[in-house]
Amino acid sequence: MTEVSLRSLQKLYGKTAALKAISLDVTHGEFVSLLGPSGCGKSTTLKCIAGFEDITDGRICFDNKDISRKLPEDRDIGMVFQSYALFPHMTVTQNLAFGLEMRRVPKADIARRVASAMEMVQLTPYADRYPKALSGGQQQRVALARALVIEPAILLLDEPLANLDAKLRDEMRGFIRDLQKRVGITTIYVTHDQNEAMTMSDRVVVMFDGEIAQAAAPEDVYNRPASERVARFVGNANILDLPVAGADAQGTTVTLPGGTPLHIAPCAAPARAGAPDRLRVMARPEQITLTGPGLGQLPGRIEKRYFSGGHVEYTVATECGALFVTGPTTQHVSEGDTVGLSFDPARLWPLPDPAPERAQ
Amino acid sequence: MRIATPLLAVFRTLVYVFLLAPILVVVLASLNAGNFLTFPPQGLSLRWFWTFLNNDIFLNAIAYSATLAACATAVSLVLGTMASLYFTRHAGKHAEAVRIGVLLPLILPEILTAIALLFFFYEIGVGTEHKIALFTGHVLMTLPFIFLNVNTSLQGRDDSIELAARTLGASRYTAFRRVTLPLIAPGLSTGAVFAFIISFDTFGISFILKGTGSAPLPIQLFDYLRFNFTPEAAAVSTVSILMTLVLVVAADLLFGRRD
Ligand SMILES: Nc1ncnc2c1ncn2[C@@H]1O[C@H](COP(=O)(O)OP(=O)(O)OP(=O)(O)O)[C@@H](O)[C@H]1O
Ligand SMILES: [Mg+2]
Repeated sequence: MTEVSLRSLQKLYGKTAALKAISLDVTHGEFVSLLGPSGCGKSTTLKCIAGFEDITDGRICFDNKDISRKLPEDRDIGMVFQSYALFPHMTVTQNLAFGLEMRRVPKADIARRVASAMEMVQLTPYADRYPKALSGGQQQRVALARALVIEPAILLLDEPLANLDAKLRDEMRGFIRDLQKRVGITTIYVTHDQNEAMTMSDRVVVMFDGEIAQAAAPEDVYNRPASERVARFVGNANILDLPVAGADAQGTTVTLPGGTPLHIAPCAAPARAGAPDRLRVMARPEQITLTGPGLGQLPGRIEKRYFSGGHVEYTVATECGALFVTGPTTQHVSEGDTVGLSFDPARLWPLPDPAPERAQ
Repeated sequence: MRIATPLLAVFRTLVYVFLLAPILVVVLASLNAGNFLTFPPQGLSLRWFWTFLNNDIFLNAIAYSATLAACATAVSLVLGTMASLYFTRHAGKHAEAVRIGVLLPLILPEILTAIALLFFFYEIGVGTEHKIALFTGHVLMTLPFIFLNVNTSLQGRDDSIELAARTLGASRYTAFRRVTLPLIAPGLSTGAVFAFIISFDTFGISFILKGTGSAPLPIQLFDYLRFNFTPEAAAVSTVSILMTLVLVVAADLLFGRRD
């Protein structure tokens, strides 16, 4: 069942295109994140869905009904803003009751629903406080409860955790995710934090320059990025440009600088038109294993070693350039050591030619 | 650098004396028992207040000025708020043009605004007969005070607050009334007090645009003082000072900042 459907949605600000004909279907109860660098059009997409901005072209449908021309108050959405946008002159209770009053819900029902929403976000002791007497995390929960108490069809969140400190952010991340699953509401979540998008979403939509670069499950976006740009934006990526030794239906064989062949499984990535004799391959830092000198498929030398608690991060100089590798803390390797790098060919991901991307 | 506290106190007192002495002189002069406007007064009496309260010309002038100020303030409240909402929510040439347009009467000498309006209203064939010119002048003079005060209330406010109200089901108008209006209320009340006082006191605009018939208080006082030099003028001034004071205190009690 499709809940939200963006069909060739286009938004121009004067002559600059903030959105270049994007299409996206969000199914009922799904948690979708819009992820991308600053200025890529995430907020614009959300504003168009909320009805704050007139769209230049295309359509927005809720439940297959075109709502592109509807006013925000008629769209049945709940929205959480980065700044929380609580009403400063109203108490927590009054903030939560506002949406229900607008919907002309009877007084007794308002009191009941506000009380249960307040319980849901664990704010009952703060019912009569004004927003400025609440901490950032508490304000955040009020904003969430205020958006949910009206039981909207769709929940929109624009970087709701950006103003919180790291620890609270992790806590709220789980809280929002649990709440969303419990309520089962269709949710579109905007963030520029790939970690947030990965951990919370059913599906991640990566956007660059007003276009959708990839829309897929978090694992797919991470392990099977659609382009080099997605690979680099979502986590750390080592990109190896390797000569092709041969190709058949079972995949492509490339050769590492020392002559070791690597067999790469075939993928949907289009063949490289410009240089069919070379293939760009992505390896995530944790998919490369450090072994002793002379072992593995590629020799290297440890250039930098950073201890980061749960694991150790290394920069390794190789003939393929500097590679970023993570390893367990039990491994004893120091800066300057000669090592071997071992790749798991099954987890190497061939990337399409980046040339068309650059041409734009 | 620290200034010695006693020295600071002396300085502060001097500033207050400098600012308030003329007002005190007027008030004392109004209590004069003699026949001429002199200082120090020759004996104390309330007789000139009594004279003033029986003088329809002044009573009418006060009523006229108060009505004019109230109407000009009301219109300025609406226009000034609209201008301020536009200015604070948009950037660029148009917003800047609105700001300069609204503030111009504050920047230009009052007499220039008055003469410009006089030419304009004669040019379009309306003249000064229908008080429209006078009223327009007063609106232009009071508009900047509403605009500046509402700007202050709006600046630093989060635009998304009103959008949040919209997503919760409020129409544009309801969102303004329930959310934006309470937030700018302090700016509106301060602006309104300023506007009322400016309109009540302004001389140049009224002098040039008043036309014939009833005139605002400052003009009436000016006319009176040209031929009579009695303490009644001081009594009138004292009463208008008191009215202003009452207005300021009342506005502060009613709408004073609570946050
Ligand atoms: N009101 C506007 N007028 C003109 N251009 C705008 C306006 N709003 C956004 N833009 C432009 O549209 C593009 C997309 O903006 P948008 O706010 O959607 O970015 P974003 O992805 O949310 O970025 P961020 O992570 O910084 O919030 C940007 O290039 C921005 O400059
Ligand atoms: Mg944004």
